[in-house]
Amino acid sequence: MIAFFKGLSDRFLGRGDAAVTVPVFDGVLRPNRLLDDGVLWARLEAPGDLACDDTGLWASDGNRVLRIDPAQQGTTEELVLDGTITALARFKGGFAVALDGNRVEVHGGALDGHSWKAADKRAFVAINSLTADGDTLLATDASAHNAPANWQRDLLERRSSGRVLRLGVDGVQMLASGLSHAFGAVPVGDAVWVSESWRHRVVSVLGAGHVQPVLNRLPGYPSRLAPADGGGIWLSVFACRTQLVEFVLREKGYREAMMASMPPNLWVAPQLVPPQSFLEPLQGGAIKQMGVLKPWAPPRSYGLVLRLNEAGKVLYSLHSRVDGTHHGITAIHDHGGALWVVSHGAGGVLRLDPSEIARRAGE
Amino acid sequence: MTLPNESLVRLRYRLWPDHVIGELLSKPWMETAIPVLVMILVFWGMAWMVPSLTDTGQLAVIARDLGETGFVVLGLAIVIMAGGVDLSVGSIFALTNLVALLLMHKLEWSAPPAIAVTILSGMALGAVNGVLIGYVRLRAFLTTLITLIIFRAVYSLAIAEYSMDIAMSLPDSTTWDFLGMGLVWGVPVNVWLFAVVALFLHILLTRLRPGWHLIAIGGSRRAAYNAGIAVPFTIMLTYVASGGFTAIAAVFFSSKLASTGSDIGLGLEVTALTAAVLGGISLGGGRGSVTKAVVGLAIVLVVTNGMTASGASGGAIRMALAGILVLAAVFDIRWVKNRHRIIASVYVSPDYLYLPKPPSCEPAPGNVWSVNDKLRAVEVIGLGEVEGPEDVILDRNDNLYSGSRHGDIVRFLAPDYTKWEIFAHIGGQPLGMAFDKDDNLCVCVGGMGLYMVRPDGEVVKLTDETNRSLTSVNDDSRLRLADDLDIAHDGRIYFSEATRRYEMSEYAVDALESRHSGRIICYDPRDGSTKTEIDNLLFPNGISMCDDNQSFLFAQTSAASISRYWFDGPKKGTIEVLLDNLPGYPDNINKASDGNYWVALVGMRGPALDLAMRMPGFRKRMTRRLPFDEWMFPNINNGCVFKIDLTGKVLETLWDPQGVNHPMITSMREHKGWLYLGGLSNNRIGRYRLPEGEGAPDYVHYERRWGKKA
Repeated sequence: MIAFFKGLSDRFLGRGDAAVTVPVFDGVLRPNRLLDDGVLWARLEAPGDLACDDTGLWASDGNRVLRIDPAQQGTTEELVLDGTITALARFKGGFAVALDGNRVEVHGGALDGHSWKAADKRAFVAINSLTADGDTLLATDASAHNAPANWQRDLLERRSSGRVLRLGVDGVQMLASGLSHAFGAVPVGDAVWVSESWRHRVVSVLGAGHVQPVLNRLPGYPSRLAPADGGGIWLSVFACRTQLVEFVLREKGYREAMMASMPPNLWVAPQLVPPQSFLEPLQGGAIKQMGVLKPWAPPRSYGLVLRLNEAGKVLYSLHSRVDGTHHGITAIHDHGGALWVVSHGAGGVLRLDPSEIARRAGE
Repeated sequence: MTLPNESLVRLRYRLWPDHVIGELLSKPWMETAIPVLVMILVFWGMAWMVPSLTDTGQLAVIARDLGETGFVVLGLAIVIMAGGVDLSVGSIFALTNLVALLLMHKLEWSAPPAIAVTILSGMALGAVNGVLIGYVRLRAFLTTLITLIIFRAVYSLAIAEYSMDIAMSLPDSTTWDFLGMGLVWGVPVNVWLFAVVALFLHILLTRLRPGWHLIAIGGSRRAAYNAGIAVPFTIMLTYVASGGFTAIAAVFFSSKLASTGSDIGLGLEVTALTAAVLGGISLGGGRGSVTKAVVGLAIVLVVTNGMTASGASGGAIRMALAGILVLAAVFDIRWVKNRHRIIASVYVSPDYLYLPKPPSCEPAPGNVWSVNDKLRAVEVIGLGEVEGPEDVILDRNDNLYSGSRHGDIVRFLAPDYTKWEIFAHIGGQPLGMAFDKDDNLCVCVGGMGLYMVRPDGEVVKLTDETNRSLTSVNDDSRLRLADDLDIAHDGRIYFSEATRRYEMSEYAVDALESRHSGRIICYDPRDGSTKTEIDNLLFPNGISMCDDNQSFLFAQTSAASISRYWFDGPKKGTIEVLLDNLPGYPDNINKASDGNYWVALVGMRGPALDLAMRMPGFRKRMTRRLPFDEWMFPNINNGCVFKIDLTGKVLETLWDPQGVNHPMITSMREHKGWLYLGGLSNNRIGRYRLPEGEGAPDYVHYERRWGKKA
């Protein structure tokens, strides 16, 4: 009863759940241009996921797995599959891939030919990340309603039907469910850290169903995580929150009419790539003044990577601001002394120098 | 696709004038209207609870009280409006009451000199406060608290001495008795006097220099000082006035009761303060009026008299007053702090607007709107040197003119336009421009009106107001956003005013509101008259005369349409829509060398905003919940130039898809085979070479319009 009246007063006054405020980029989140300095190492037509081990670095591009040579720019084709690769990992000498979000297969290595299609009597819908953890695979199934390609719809429908799974040879274990768009998991000690995009946080899952936030109130939507050289975790943030999107999330009528009448790239919703069409909605701050687009304009798309320590505290951040193009970071890996990130805005894999980043971010 | 309840929404927004509420609230007199409303409610409620309140006798008591305490409240109101406060009025009242009684009863003076000396003594007591606060710069609160105690102590000592003498004798003066008891046409004499003084004070505060100085000091003492106002002297005068007015009240009181009780004037400052604050005189200073003071006092008197009549004790009455004072003070602080925001959030009132699905601009054979990159190779003039050239124009000597956001008309010199000079400084941002046949440059200036610049650079105002429309709450006679113009053959200037509800800097708010608040106005130089020609348009913008000398084309930006209007001839007064449902928002229109018309699309429509236009409630909440920079806007980072003929057929389009060389196009002007491009938020002027055979190499608009000159 109290909650009901609180909800009513919140809606009237624009407080609590009805607030459209978003956290600001302050402190360790202070904007810089470190991501813009990344070199486009491998151009991809449909940027996907990254995978690496001691023997090499691979990226997925649509239905292909490409090997990236850390020494020189360009790619060589390694594998062609019969579906869009929505997640990729190195697993026991071979590749674990999620295809079209609804099945996980192993190609090559010790478990070649093994596959999973369902967990807890529910078929996979949106497997969008795979991480090898010893003899098992950690997988995130973002939503029970929308395939990975329809992630914007999942946000606008305000779903929270994601789950984290542990895939093993002897079966599938569900670690947590009811997550708001689970997108990326990484083992940290005994626990598993999972990005929960629509709640703007990273949670730690310890045992079955024991979920605890590690990092809260992010100004963006977190995605895949990866262990960093020298301890800690890299967290990719694929888009930023804006007050307009937060507002539209509270406007059911508008949202439904919008989703019914136009393609997702024209929605008032976060995007992975900077605006490409004049049909896309524009916010007041993004109007060019004297021929200049302000970098602090409300971001329709944004590039952001966070470096976390083992306690989940942000140490520093890498940005590509509104006037940059290295936006939509969905995957990240340390490999061979360099930092590799998948940027949808740049249309490929970027190479960054971590020592240079640590030096400049520490300034 | 239709939205749920869309026809209901449309009907509701057609019938209910949302904008009127905001316009009413932003009227200055609305602040007085609220206390008046409270007064009516209180009186009605009290009359209902205490029926005897409406008796003639009771009303006369209230009126006599009003004419007495009213003077004290007026004095206090003046002090508060100048940013101070006077707590000593009760003690001054008691002392001056004693002075009057001494003069009349003990010394047996005649009434006129006694009254004069009483008032002077009140002013002298006020001057003590005034000097300490104005010149010595003590705190008003503390100073008047101290004088309250001192004056009260003096009074207590004095009555112990003189009260017997006063009680022993009675003055023999008809004037004196008349002041206390007299009626003029059935109304107590002090009420008449009070009405006269209140009227004079009202005029002083609203129409005369001392009143303005006083309000200015209350608004900001430092700013008033910097503006050259004699701050200490004026502040001292307010306390002198307060003392004087209190003495007048004491004269009426003493002539009525001849009492020297120890409780005279006790708590008067609370009553007066409550009345002033309740009426809406802000304790922070700088805001208030005589009306507010009177209304506030009326409320207080109705409450106190009503409670007295119903048998409440003095303590209960004082408790009620204190309670009202607290409530009023809280409301005053919240209102002053949030007034601006409340009005702003109520003022923006989006309207329902349905635009059908626009034509596609996807490149396709046969699609005239196909996006191309013809403007990619635009040459740039004055990059970084001119800011905000909304319109550009060329004279018959090939010099190029443009406006700038600094309020200048900048002239780029032929032939290469690398040298430039400031041709004239107007002050407001120049928008549309046109040459008349005497080479005068007529300019629409945002926020200022219609101006003319002579060939020697002299700036002349043509007009800045039109006839006020009958149904508007806002005074809409003053021009707020004159936008573009063209000149008829007989010299009449037709110009558009994009909106009458917003300033130039807020044009985007009007675009989001999409209310029919623009108009096209005619200025006739033959008799200097200005009158509205077409009213209730949706952001009227570009205007271009047709060759028949009877009609012109005009664009309505928010409606994405171009219409033709006949101002003369057999079709006089008719409007025909030439072209609607454009894929973007049309801006200026100008003549092309082949007799057709160039139109600029300042921005492109997008489905997300088109959908929001059909949901006024959504946009209203957006404007209230989000800061301005986060609002959804028309996409004015991209645009194009296109050419139409008089049948409304689109002949060709010119694009620069990413706006690399020329981000925003608000106008274009063809001249000798080139197309010159202006943009409201650009830092450059563009110049596009028309392909062979498309533009006439010798085309000069001036000569086409007014003929060749020697």
